[in-house]
Amino acid sequence: MDHDPFRWGRPSDATYGAYNTAIANASAHGSSANSSEYPKMNTQQPIVTGTSVIAMKFRDGIIIAADNLGSYGSLARFTEVERLFPVGENAVVGVSGDISDLQEVGRLLEQLETETSYDYDGHSLRAPHIHEYLQKVFYARRSKMDPLWNSVVVGGLEDGKPFLKYVDLLGVTYSSPTIATGFGAHLAIPLLRKVVFKEEDVESIDEATARKAIEECMKVLYYRDARSLDKYSLITITKEKGVVFEKNLKSENQSWRFAKDIKGYGTQVV
Amino acid sequence: MTSVGTGYDLSNSVFSPDGRNFQVEYASKAVENGGTSIGIKCQDGVVLAVEKIVTSKLLVPNKNNRIQTVGKHIGVVYSGMLPDGRNLVSKCRGEYQTYMSQYKEPITVPYLIDRIGGFLQAYTCYNSVRPFGVTTIIGGIDESGPHLYMLEPSGTYWGYHGAATGKGRQSAKNELEKLDMATLSAKDAVKEAARIIYLAHEDNKDKDFEIEITWCSKSETNGTHQFVPEDLLQEAKEYAEAKLNEESDDDETMSD
Amino acid sequence: MYGRLTSNQRNAEELSSYQKKIIQIDDHMGIALAGLAPDARVLSNFLREKAMNQRMIFNRPLSVEKAADLLASKAQKNTQGFGSRPYGVGLLVVGYDETGAHLFEFQPSGQSLEYFGCAIGARSQAGRTYLERNFDEYKTSTSEELIVHGLKALRETLQQDKELNSKNTSVAVATKDGFKIYDDEEVQQWLDKLDTLGNARDDQDDNDDNNNDDGDDDDDSAPKKEEEEVKDEDKMETD
Repeated sequence: MDHDPFRWGRPSDATYGAYNTAIANASAHGSSANSSEYPKMNTQQPIVTGTSVIAMKFRDGIIIAADNLGSYGSLARFTEVERLFPVGENAVVGVSGDISDLQEVGRLLEQLETETSYDYDGHSLRAPHIHEYLQKVFYARRSKMDPLWNSVVVGGLEDGKPFLKYVDLLGVTYSSPTIATGFGAHLAIPLLRKVVFKEEDVESIDEATARKAIEECMKVLYYRDARSLDKYSLITITKEKGVVFEKNLKSENQSWRFAKDIKGYGTQVV
Repeated sequence: MTSVGTGYDLSNSVFSPDGRNFQVEYASKAVENGGTSIGIKCQDGVVLAVEKIVTSKLLVPNKNNRIQTVGKHIGVVYSGMLPDGRNLVSKCRGEYQTYMSQYKEPITVPYLIDRIGGFLQAYTCYNSVRPFGVTTIIGGIDESGPHLYMLEPSGTYWGYHGAATGKGRQSAKNELEKLDMATLSAKDAVKEAARIIYLAHEDNKDKDFEIEITWCSKSETNGTHQFVPEDLLQEAKEYAEAKLNEESDDDETMSD
Repeated sequence: MYGRLTSNQRNAEELSSYQKKIIQIDDHMGIALAGLAPDARVLSNFLREKAMNQRMIFNRPLSVEKAADLLASKAQKNTQGFGSRPYGVGLLVVGYDETGAHLFEFQPSGQSLEYFGCAIGARSQAGRTYLERNFDEYKTSTSEELIVHGLKALRETLQQDKELNSKNTSVAVATKDGFKIYDDEEVQQWLDKLDTLGNARDDQDDNDDNNNDDGDDDDDSAPKKEEEEVKDEDKMETD
């Protein structure tokens, strides 16, 4: 690497030859005037991001939560971002990852909903259909090498039973009684699995227990995920009450006493 | 129509010597015998209603809907050639979608009408197409409040407080004129709409019919276009029947 | 508990072989045609594509109503513009979806309507008359009885000297288990339940006694095309 302050970060000319400025123009594809020797380039990384979405099944339905932060790198840039989308009559889509792509997903879902409402055939748009659709969208985009940079959790009810399934920017999907995206996959999943480990356990968990577990996870995520916020939205879907959307929830009873014991960062002397 | 058979009525793009486009006039003829459609703009919304003539008892009741939705906030009903009407609605939906993808907000009703009006007009200009055989009533709510328009095959459109088209339009219009739209609540408008459709059906009495009513109201449907709930529809029908009987009783006593 | 639907129709006969007139669209849906068979094939390919799309994108069967609407919208465009002719075929679209059994009639004008029972094609008025006359029975009929009703309606539409036989009659049934076509000897079981196979009846009202006169299966060669469908919507039964 070149350590000259004006050329810092670039490969050193001595080792790699002169820096090719065409790289900077690579994404301006399609115009023949720009005779870039690089092929078309699309999104290489997310810009403004939302962190984890966490969700779990319980006896009568599902519960899902996501905080309201849009981070610009490590900067907590936007604090009012809604990352949960209720769709149709009893489904919700929780989105993490790039916020501009999240907005595009939101528009796709709205269009889908509008088009569904045009038909009077009694065929409602339910969670499995929404999940299947999103999977096709994500996979089609990744196959164009232009992914929507998100991982998504779709929750709802199907045939009166809880439905929870994941899909991400590659079009990968899986289903599980507990699902979390991003940092939550590391921090929240072990905690949620203490409550529900296998599909069979879902039957024995009621809404209050599930909610407590989710709230606890949101708090732990706020403690340990530096791209998170203690303000979040939460949706529960049950047969009885349908979709219940709660906004501006706050992680309560925080205790930061553990922080003083954490070593290895900042200015502290180890 | 004195010029019928002179050849000027065969093509869209040719005027007759007295300055008429017969194709458009014939399209309007297609409308005149269709089931009656009406629209009412009331205090905080619009109500659309249509008389569905039942042509066979093998038809499944309460299916084969006639009123359609564009976006979430606009309703469309029409009299005349039903397939043309469906085509027009899919045009409206296309306009809605295009507007949505460009501006990321729902299309306003006046703008939609203007686009569709222009579109209909284009179908009167070319000999490669025929005009739409429907008169369409479009109602909806946008940020500037409720709107009601009626579009004719020629592409002409006007805004209305109460609009009627189809076979029973004349008697429907007479009744609409008597309503005080400015103070009419959405629920009352639904009932009046039912009454007017029942009344208009008198012109077509030998045939069975169903009634279909939708509404779009700030207070009742949060600005979205929906079918009225079953109990309200039932209430409206009963109201309409009662009123109709009342009136025919009056007629009898008057003539005595 | 289950709902079921039956439909049946007959093939035109063309010299030695008969034109098949029922086309399967998807596991749960099929169409019957009256008119130009090539046009019907174009439309059935179109519908198959739409049905496959619905399975691909949403992993669910295409709703029958949506199928009929798609056909109608496609056909309407051919009636308004220059440079194309309207489709020369009427269709009956039948299927069993999330909301039960459905039967739609599609016309080249771009009209599509949902019926309990319908007949299209040559002399279909006679079939419709039969269906209307016996309308009240469908709701309580079993699937088997419904097929017999369909065949009787079909019989009404025959030319004087023609008869139903297993070569010129096809039956298709849509139930929650899917759409199935019965051809040739498979339909004999229901033909056996008819008192007569021709329509030269002096209106002796339909005894359901199984007078089997499947005697003469004469193979006359005048082309015929009729389709009939009877439908019994969402009949709930406890077995």
